[in-house]
Amino acid sequence: MKLAEQRGMATVYEPAEDSRLLATAAIDRIDGGRVLEVGVGSGYVADRIAAETPADVVGCDINPEACRRTRSAGIEAVRSDLTHAFLADSFDAVVFNPPYLPTPPEEEWDDPLEYALSGGEDGRRVIRPFLSDLGRVLRPSGRAYLLVSTLTDVDAVVELADEAGLGAEAVDEASFPFERLVVLEITHANR
Amino acid sequence: MKETLLDILCCPLDKAELELEVIREDDDEILEGRLVCTECGEVYPIEDGIPNLLPPDMREEATA
Repeated sequence: MKLAEQRGMATVYEPAEDSRLLATAAIDRIDGGRVLEVGVGSGYVADRIAAETPADVVGCDINPEACRRTRSAGIEAVRSDLTHAFLADSFDAVVFNPPYLPTPPEEEWDDPLEYALSGGEDGRRVIRPFLSDLGRVLRPSGRAYLLVSTLTDVDAVVELADEAGLGAEAVDEASFPFERLVVLEITHANR
Repeated sequence: MKETLLDILCCPLDKAELELEVIREDDDEILEGRLVCTECGEVYPIEDGIPNLLPPDMREEATA
């Protein structure tokens, strides 16, 4: 039994303001096709996209408990590391609310919920490999919706997208006491 | 998982297509089975309707 289970702690990230902002931004812009939510967690965003758009939604997560919850919500679930288990040109849209809180190494602790929150020292530990594989699975006209925080440095994320041959533009945002959350719409740069 | 999911899945190691071996299924989906890479032969389990496509070195949980 894992430590988190013994303590009766949550092992899946529960939907919060960031999830709701991302869901709304995605629903307003997705009009069908096949959609992947990366790091699907509780299944909240995937479930809303499935309910409020005509899209076919698949969720993936590295956490087995998140996969089980997503499947229980009636969403197709795949256990995978980011987009690495999906064929090229598979998706019209990809949605991701990544772990983004900058976390010094000495404060990292090893349980599934921490993994769902921490973005490493600069907050971009998971965003970096996500952006480097995103262009492969996104169809030529595909779009991705990535939630980022000012704590994670939005400009640095836009630069990472650029390095991966992708264009990124803020399409929605919301301000909170300690951060501003931004939804970036990411496309192939040549579009 | 539904069989149509196979259209978008690949081996995380070499991106080759996967072959489905069904162990148990119901009317609309595969509940238990295996996905075998057509290139490297790596086997990925499907358990309780969920395919586990983590590369072998990341599968910390028992796959039984």
